[in-house]
Amino acid sequence: MTLKPLEIYKLLPKKNCKECGDPTCLTFAMKLSGGKAKPEACPYLDENAKTILGASTRPPVRKIRIGVGERAITIGEELVQFRHEKSFFHEPGIFIAVNDTMTAEAIQERVIFVRDGILTRVGTDLRLSGIGIRSLAGSPEPFARAVGAVESVADLPEVLMAGDPAVMEAGLFVCGNYRPLIHAASPSQYREMCRLAKKYGCPLALKADTLDSLAELSGHCTAEGVENLVLDLSSPSLHAMLNASTAVRQHAISRTTPALGYPVCIDTSRGGHADASLITGVTKFGSVLVCDDLPEASRKAVLVLRQNIYTDPQKPIQITPGLYRVGTPGRDAPVLLTVNFSLTFFTLQGYLEASRVPCFMLIVDTEGLSVLTAVASGKLHEALVRDAIAKYGLAGEVSHRTLIIPGYAAPLSGRIEEAIGWKVLVGPRDAADIAEFLEKEWKT
Amino acid sequence: MISVEKAAHAGKESLKSRMAAIGGSFSYEETAYHLPVTFALTGNAVNSAEEAQKAYNASAENPLVAGECLQAFQAARNGKESPPYTGFIPDAVLRTLGYSLVDGSILGLVLVAGSPPAPDTAAGLCRELQEKYMLTFLSGDIIQSLTSSGVKVGAEYRLVPLGSRPSSAIHFIDIIARVAMMFGGVTPGDAGRLLAYAKERAKAIVIVFPGLNDEEIALIDAFCLLGIPVIAAGDYDGDQWIRVQPADAVRTGMELKGIKVSVTAIPIPMACSPAFEGKSIRKEEMQVEFGGGRSPAFELLRVRPAGEVEDGKVTVIGPEIDAIPQGSAAPLGIIIEVAGKQMKKEYEPVLERRIHNFVNYGEGSWHVAQRDLIWVRLSQEAVAKGVRIRDLGTLLAAKFRMDFPDLLDAVQVTLITDEKTALAERTKAGKIYQERDDRILGMRDTDVDTFYSCTLCQTFAPNHVCIITPERPALCGAISWLDGKIAFEIAPAGANQPVEKGKIIDMDRGEFEGVNRFVKKASHGEVDRCSLYSIMEYPMTCCGCFECIALTLPEVNGFMVVNREYKGLTPSGMSFSTLAGTIGGGAQTPGFAGISKSYILSDRFLQAEGGIERLVWMPAILMQELKGRLVENLRKKGVESLIDKIADETKAGTIEELASFLVSVDHPVLAMKPLF
Amino acid sequence: MGLSTLSEWTGRIGELVIGASHAEGGTRSHVVRIGGERDLPYIGTHPSGHKPLVAYELADDPSLWPAAATRYIGDWVHDTADWAAYAEKEYTPDLIRLHLTSTRHRGFSDTSRIGTTIESVLQATRLPLIVEGSDDPAMDSAVYQKIGEAAEGERILLGTAEAGRYRSVAAAAMAYGHSVIAQSPIDINLAKQLNILLRETGLPSDRIAIDPYTGALGYGFEYSYSVMERIRYSALKGDTDLAMPMISSATDSLTVKEVREAQGSEAEKTAVAWELYSMLPATIAGASIVCVRHPLSIAGLKSAIDSLWNGENVEGV
Repeated sequence: MTLKPLEIYKLLPKKNCKECGDPTCLTFAMKLSGGKAKPEACPYLDENAKTILGASTRPPVRKIRIGVGERAITIGEELVQFRHEKSFFHEPGIFIAVNDTMTAEAIQERVIFVRDGILTRVGTDLRLSGIGIRSLAGSPEPFARAVGAVESVADLPEVLMAGDPAVMEAGLFVCGNYRPLIHAASPSQYREMCRLAKKYGCPLALKADTLDSLAELSGHCTAEGVENLVLDLSSPSLHAMLNASTAVRQHAISRTTPALGYPVCIDTSRGGHADASLITGVTKFGSVLVCDDLPEASRKAVLVLRQNIYTDPQKPIQITPGLYRVGTPGRDAPVLLTVNFSLTFFTLQGYLEASRVPCFMLIVDTEGLSVLTAVASGKLHEALVRDAIAKYGLAGEVSHRTLIIPGYAAPLSGRIEEAIGWKVLVGPRDAADIAEFLEKEWKT
Repeated sequence: MISVEKAAHAGKESLKSRMAAIGGSFSYEETAYHLPVTFALTGNAVNSAEEAQKAYNASAENPLVAGECLQAFQAARNGKESPPYTGFIPDAVLRTLGYSLVDGSILGLVLVAGSPPAPDTAAGLCRELQEKYMLTFLSGDIIQSLTSSGVKVGAEYRLVPLGSRPSSAIHFIDIIARVAMMFGGVTPGDAGRLLAYAKERAKAIVIVFPGLNDEEIALIDAFCLLGIPVIAAGDYDGDQWIRVQPADAVRTGMELKGIKVSVTAIPIPMACSPAFEGKSIRKEEMQVEFGGGRSPAFELLRVRPAGEVEDGKVTVIGPEIDAIPQGSAAPLGIIIEVAGKQMKKEYEPVLERRIHNFVNYGEGSWHVAQRDLIWVRLSQEAVAKGVRIRDLGTLLAAKFRMDFPDLLDAVQVTLITDEKTALAERTKAGKIYQERDDRILGMRDTDVDTFYSCTLCQTFAPNHVCIITPERPALCGAISWLDGKIAFEIAPAGANQPVEKGKIIDMDRGEFEGVNRFVKKASHGEVDRCSLYSIMEYPMTCCGCFECIALTLPEVNGFMVVNREYKGLTPSGMSFSTLAGTIGGGAQTPGFAGISKSYILSDRFLQAEGGIERLVWMPAILMQELKGRLVENLRKKGVESLIDKIADETKAGTIEELASFLVSVDHPVLAMKPLF
Repeated sequence: MGLSTLSEWTGRIGELVIGASHAEGGTRSHVVRIGGERDLPYIGTHPSGHKPLVAYELADDPSLWPAAATRYIGDWVHDTADWAAYAEKEYTPDLIRLHLTSTRHRGFSDTSRIGTTIESVLQATRLPLIVEGSDDPAMDSAVYQKIGEAAEGERILLGTAEAGRYRSVAAAAMAYGHSVIAQSPIDINLAKQLNILLRETGLPSDRIAIDPYTGALGYGFEYSYSVMERIRYSALKGDTDLAMPMISSATDSLTVKEVREAQGSEAEKTAVAWELYSMLPATIAGASIVCVRHPLSIAGLKSAIDSLWNGENVEGV
């Protein structure tokens, strides 16, 4: 189990030497406990402390990088089974597969789609992560050519999917220096795959029939000196896949079976349920998800689902503060103030759109707090509103001087009115009532 | 005066002999419950005189069974009484009735039986029942009495005429029995469940006027078994019959069964909503002001016995708004008297604080501060619309009833604008404020058996459980033990639950069996133990709302406290926000605890670790805020000099500086036993 | 070794029955059961409890229904009973969820029409029914009484009770033998509180389905997802006040920007994707009934649920 800060502190030298970069040993202990520092940063640890700290502060799911450069991804390093317990940290990579029977042009078209496709939501760019390259032809040359075709247009993270070590080696010869994931070692050929993984310094995916043989295989591979492992849990049955990925996460988090403490890989093309398989992988512990062609609608949906699931539940998604338009508001359109908590923003925006009244939304920076909590904690206050009105030039946008504030901000109405010199109308508490409110109360 | 006991005895004998005399077959129509009272009590389905006799014997000659069998027998022989009398009410109608009861559109059931002394009495009583959302059933002469004075009866008027004789009152019980079987899951023949259901869930009362014969008295007296209070507005003398004046009958009955009418509209010429809470009234907009140092003003809320509070009554002592010059400052005393079965004296201050919100809800009334420091304004606009001082009283009386429907039965308000009276009452109020302060200050954890929980923060800290004691407020500083207690009274299913202390495991650490049990359950099994007075061992979990963080500084063998407002680094090497990020989220982190500011002043602070003498550092702004009270505490303990030995950022910014500072002032931690 | 999932749960989700067969006094061709789980959703060689179900949502007044949903159905939407019958035949959902959107018009008072609508839908379809009444406290009493009465004997699931207004729904359920959807705004404690309030009216726990409120994908879905996981987790840990099956409907899925702005056939595909990508995760988080408005979402969801559910006859990893 994870050690508490004071338990760790007791194992530290208590010198406050600052050589780890932290001002005190206690600070360092706090960081270790949260998985935010490594024991090696302390030069004075005794052997006993190293062993204990090494085992207990190492993330229960190993951290692994795939690819190099800007688009490289980090997976693993997860600490919990449910996102509400803390958060899921590294979102899964979604890899679009090509194969070595496709023409170079067809391969490149797909790669370019992955390279350039961007979906921008809540101020974040969402992209597919990389390319899976399947060996279908079964011999080295076509595979090397396919890898070459991919490499010719993009430097995206790759999953090389070939069961024959010779074929794999041909692929690695082309892209091995760019840290692709080698997919996959099995009980019959793991020694050769391990050799390749070591030679190229690449992470290695493992495949076996049962969780027990998978755990055994991961033991063999670490014994061979390959530690950056990924467990392949693909199955035609979603039930088998979900049960396996749940078991792997449970065994890893509880540290009962460290041999399963690795990220999970799922090939979603195995059943007849590409979408469902992706969904299961995103929600339940998949870290590398390979899928064949992904239709546009599914692509959007899976990127958004991944963003949703990997949002830190304790740090709400924030909207960039500013003046937003709903419809094409004129100079006499109402202005509604609210906070930059994404859920609040989207909910209000939805109801405003439904009301068909063009208007302005003035979004102020409450660090992502909802109206109620922002009012209670003093994050929403009159100076913030005054500064936002000035900053976004609201006075130049509208001819009137009336601001509608959220119902829960009513206690601030007087102070806001005084600070901004505008008339303040207190709106409803529930965004669902906004249409009725505007209909009844809004007159310029 | 009629002796209920004697009459009931005779009545039972008479019922018994009449039961022996019936014959043939009879039953009710349009029901799946046979003779419902008999069916519910005994499980017997009666269709004949023979079966009736058997069931009667099985019920140990219960007058309700006899009454029902005889009623059904007569209806079968003579036919139903003609309208307006309803006689037996079919199941289908009853289902709608049950719906209205659960739905809340009727609050309770009343039976009125007998002959009222004058038609006006009956009419007044029934009007009151209609106004209070009760569904009333009528038996006997009262029906004639009502119709003769022009009162319309019928289900649509919520006045249901059961029959011309008081013996038809048995239908009231067959209704309750069927509601119990339809809605309450009571199985026929399970008399125990039926009695419990009628007693606890059925909101039913009976009001009797004179004119009942012995059999009818025996019947009504048997209602008492079902927990239905019998309110006697006539010359009856019985152990369980409550004698009242007719005018008090409805109120008494409703109070006994805890039936409350909720207030929905406030009859004043001023809008009243939380939306107006933040509106201030500037001097140039103001019609008149009270208090604020310009005139004597105060507010006081007190609990009174039920008989002394007339709900909704507002009294103004002194001049009204039109007799006060515009723009001037006038005296104001706000005295709110409340009554309620659940209401306790210790809740007074918590409720009193709500005066502030309620007055601000008025569009045109404004309120700041509390007790004898209040400052109230009424706007010119509101006064022009007809708002008078009296309306403040009406608003307060109504809002208190609306917001505390379960706690308060009656609220009356006195507003004093007469200077002499206001001054005199303010002096009295001053004494009460003092008593309250003394009582709350003096309250100890050892004085109570129950603490309160708060799980409001589980929204974002899933396993966090705050335990609130008299000497340890919630770590957010916002909820005291008393607040928790009242929150529970008001919303028994809410986020503040009572926590039985249970057996002491370790008094020093503040570990109790009951608390552990509660925490284990409320943390979904994640936290097994919780010590309330220790930070080193099994400390309370932290959500994220704590006012301060207390943590151990192992290097100096002491503790430091940092408050949310302090943004700088502390001697621990970490800032408040770094610390908060690590310990928050519902985890238990030995050596660290989220606490409220006022807990620093509590005798329980750091109790297990050696008390306040372990405290070595806190930010200057926090010290400034607490200094007055802290000095007082230390003086009482005889360690006054400690105040200057607690460092702040100006004296020690780092752990090294702190260590040398503590040596230089000879801080007591230097001599205390090591924390590790 | 036999490595498998680690289950140390003590609680069990209660069972809820929807629909009544002829033998039970109703007219449904089959009744459905939800709940009964003793582990996380789909976990175990033979998952415990009952398989999650898919409900198809329709409305008695289609003008208050998302265009993306009505467009595809076409003229059938003008007669609620025809719509239900057509959907049952063509798309085979497990349940029909009827929203009485006609009650949302200002000044609505024609409760007798609600009764007729429900009776005609009950005749048109043999599937168990979920009915959503008014959302205005002022008319709740009349509306729910009418719904309860019109569906008497059919053991429908009746929505929606909320903390501020649950009495009429509970009363209709108790008076006419139905069950209740208890909705709270994405908050585990409020969900629990409402269950306690409902119990205090006398409604038994096995006639409550929790609706923790579901935000659309990209519009707060993650909050709903986690609240469902937490409710399920607490129930399995033994909290009986939360041990009711859950129902989830990503109500706003078909009106989100992504669906509204998609062009041509892409609009249908996006609508279906948006429903699938929120409702399948909802079952993984613990929902026993998931609801969709686009008919094409039904088949995909049902087959995915089957594959997640069926542990037998499939090889290991």
